Amino acid sequence: MSTHAAAQAHAGHDQHGSGHDHHAHSSWWRTYVFSTDHKTIGIQYTITALCFLAFGFGLMLIMRWQLAYPSDPIPLIGGLLGKSLVESGVLTGQGYNALGAMHGTIMVFMAIVPLAVGGFGNYVVPLMVGAQDMAFPRLNMASYWVFLPGGLIMLASFFMPGGPAASGWTSYPPLSNIATMGQTAWLIGMIFLITSSLLGSVNFIVTIVQLRAPGLSMFRLPFFVWAQFVTAFLLLLAFPPLEAAGVLQLMDRVAGTSFFMPQGLVVSQKLHEAVGGGSPLLWQHLFWFLAHPEVYVLILPALGIVSEVIAANTRKPLWGYKSLVYAALFLGFMSFIVWAHHMFMTGMGTTLSTFFQITTMIISIPSVIVLTALIISYHGASIRYSVPMLFATAFLPMFAIGGLTGLPLGLTASDIHLHDTYYVIGHFHYVVAPGTIFAMFAGIYHWFPKVTGRMMNRTLGLIHFWFSFIFINGVFMPMFFMGMAGALRRQYDPEAQLHAETVQGLSRMVSYSAWCLAAVQIPFVINFFRSIWSGQPASQNPWQATTLEWAAPSPPPHGNFAQVPTVHCGPYEYSVPGERRDFCPQFEAREA
Amino acid sequence: MNGAPYGRWLPWNASEHGGQIDSLIDVIHWFMLILFVGWGIFFVYCLVRFRQKPGRNAAYELPKGAASKYAEVGVAIFEGFLLFGLSVPLWSRYKTAPPPPEKRMDVTAIGEQFAWNFHYPGKDGKYGRLDPTLISSSNLLGLDKDGDPAAEDDIVSPELHVPLNQDVYVRIRSKDVIHSFAIPAMRVKQDAVPGMEVPVWFKPTRSSDEFREAMAREYSLDQPTPLFNKKKAGLILMEDYPASGEPVAHKGDALVNATVEKLLAAGIKTVRAAPRATMEVVCAQLCGMNHYSMKAPLFVDTPEQFEAWKTAQSAEIEIDLE
Ligand code: HEM
Ligand SMILES: [Cu+2]
Ligand SMILES: [Cu+2]
Repeated sequence: MSTHAAAQAHAGHDQHGSGHDHHAHSSWWRTYVFSTDHKTIGIQYTITALCFLAFGFGLMLIMRWQLAYPSDPIPLIGGLLGKSLVESGVLTGQGYNALGAMHGTIMVFMAIVPLAVGGFGNYVVPLMVGAQDMAFPRLNMASYWVFLPGGLIMLASFFMPGGPAASGWTSYPPLSNIATMGQTAWLIGMIFLITSSLLGSVNFIVTIVQLRAPGLSMFRLPFFVWAQFVTAFLLLLAFPPLEAAGVLQLMDRVAGTSFFMPQGLVVSQKLHEAVGGGSPLLWQHLFWFLAHPEVYVLILPALGIVSEVIAANTRKPLWGYKSLVYAALFLGFMSFIVWAHHMFMTGMGTTLSTFFQITTMIISIPSVIVLTALIISYHGASIRYSVPMLFATAFLPMFAIGGLTGLPLGLTASDIHLHDTYYVIGHFHYVVAPGTIFAMFAGIYHWFPKVTGRMMNRTLGLIHFWFSFIFINGVFMPMFFMGMAGALRRQYDPEAQLHAETVQGLSRMVSYSAWCLAAVQIPFVINFFRSIWSGQPASQNPWQATTLEWAAPSPPPHGNFAQVPTVHCGPYEYSVPGERRDFCPQFEAREA
Repeated sequence: MNGAPYGRWLPWNASEHGGQIDSLIDVIHWFMLILFVGWGIFFVYCLVRFRQKPGRNAAYELPKGAASKYAEVGVAIFEGFLLFGLSVPLWSRYKTAPPPPEKRMDVTAIGEQFAWNFHYPGKDGKYGRLDPTLISSSNLLGLDKDGDPAAEDDIVSPELHVPLNQDVYVRIRSKDVIHSFAIPAMRVKQDAVPGMEVPVWFKPTRSSDEFREAMAREYSLDQPTPLFNKKKAGLILMEDYPASGEPVAHKGDALVNATVEKLLAAGIKTVRAAPRATMEVVCAQLCGMNHYSMKAPLFVDTPEQFEAWKTAQSAEIEIDLE
């Protein structure tokens, strides 16, 4: 297949590759279920990931009950949850940990990454580079069909004896090694999810390198494509160590090895039978070697989306496009050498910790550059406050809060007090929730007309935006104060510790905000489905934007473009002086 | 310092090195605030000033300004200062030079699901041998009392007592999974990794009494239920009651139901009380289903209090031996 795709790439794009021909007379199954079309796969990923996102959010809504009203029975659904989670309607400690671990796992590996890469990446990247499909369409299909079982295995673990994994999304051994069967399911699920990402990442890299339309040099690529490009490399290089680590932990659990089990463990006053000789910290190194790059996998596509939306709605070129690209490349590179800043409290000496502090401070510089460039892009603009633009605009200050609060965590001395407190939870959620998720919403509102041929409703969009903006800050802002006061993360009983009692009021406020945040997603859901069927019809280029996806009909047919576009200029030629209109699409030759 | 030891910002600091950590945290947060507000003003200005208006076009090119370069370089320089000026020196001062053995109080903290136990070497200053095969529910650490003479005077306690104004050197260990030895009031945190022994040290500079005085409040005895339902209970009286005449309850008595009944019978409706334990050793690393409950009271004793506590512990050991 690969030779075929490469041949197709070399042959140019003027004809529809013969590999797709069977689609013309293919069955419903081949068109909608086992499709190799990047758009169908993108939509499959998006819908699946949005469902997982809602589910992961739901788990947190249950946990927030326990955190607001410790040990009160959960109203409405308390009786419906299984024995592994609740006892007489009250969430148990084990149940709390299980929900927490699954919340993190689902959000990171089954919601955000699949949405950002599998969904947006798959749908938009081939369009933006002017390709008819991904380089390896069947590999692409395989990636989704490995992802889905991985996700289903994770969900199935809720029905296992002892419930699902409960050792955090980080699954530190020995705790995870001695945990109930759900942990085995977690590991198997993770192996599927990782495999799926690896298949996807190869595909993105080849597509971006090989399948660009004539005239589309690397430095004419929209920033979104660059972001996906760097992301694909991160996935490709960072996931294998975690996959290996996952297999090792699986062996520890089922085959009696002890890669992560040291000598002489005594569990519940009984000598543990593990042979010993392993190192629990080895897991942490392998895990964070993935998981730090992973956080950039979560944020880079978001930055990409926000950049596209900002360029189209400020009606001017992104400020410092090249510095954005270099910053993304540098971020990608640096993200491989900061991982141990998650492990400062494991007993690190000055030399090692100094190294990781330096790299962590260095990595914050490109983040500052990206943010500065995007903010300066508003200067001299003619800002059109569309709904996607509002989400993109709100993204910037909230991402800034996320990035800034990384500083005290990246310095060992201040991390002593803040590590493993709610401050950390506030920090990374500002990056991934008010950050990435807002960017995802911006992307959905922005590309919805391309995907469905219809516009989303603006009024519902405004309601969705403003209330989400208020409540999401209500959820995460108090966490900094709680963490500062010393309140620890992963606490089933928020009042168990002296220093946490004084912030219980804030904790309750977080819960209220979270429930309200859930409620204000209803306008979005209504808007989403109603617009699919009865939204106002969208033209080919409703935002009057410049990048190649707007050269395709809305929605694009199989094969994407009626005629393969030729690229004439850079990605963001807005408000070019002397031009008739305030945008010059990449796919249109300019009058001399 | 005033107000209550615990609130919605940093708790009171009770250790020698903690003050520097706190100032570092303060400096960083001022820096963050200035950056955020600076960016914010510019951003909001743009949002308002450059909104779409009929007849005005966006600028294709911005006049070349160097302001952003200066800002970025400024940020980099300041981060360099935070790093090399504050954090690294602080960390190396705090982490590389342990207090000399003759000047410090030694103790080992051993984590298990879901408790901390503290092993003091006793009068001879030597830790007795710990043997995992001897571990049982009555000998939680597997202390070899019969085989090792150094073990005879060792103290094993579920409470951590440390003397005020003396260096404390704690070896951190774990029996089973990873825990994290954390004392928010001391700005101390160190993971307890099974198979490893990592030391931390700190010098308590504020006593439990001082904390307790600041945490004392009036409690009404009329409606004791909510008070005593709280698992945090563990309040003690801060004064003798009644103030004049023969007291029915003494300063330091636990405010349990029996005491409350006596007080009510003597016509006393409100008392001044405070938690017995005013600082805690908690576990900061998820270690299983009761992780949240894994904590031990920490007492920063005056030298007299500390000696008295040790004597009492040794007395218990004598009883054990008989
Ligand atoms: C501006 C640069 C950033 C710096 C300096 C930074 C620094 C840190 C540090 C030092 C920690 C460990 C804190 C601790 O456990 O004590 C941390 C945690 C975390 N950060 Fe960042 N960070 C930055 C940006 C990001 C970004 C862009 C993301 C993307 C999503 C992110 C996501 C996370 C996550 C998920 C955790 C928590 C991991 C866990 O313990 O479960 N951070 N960050
Ligand atoms: Cu990191
Ligand atoms: Cu714990």
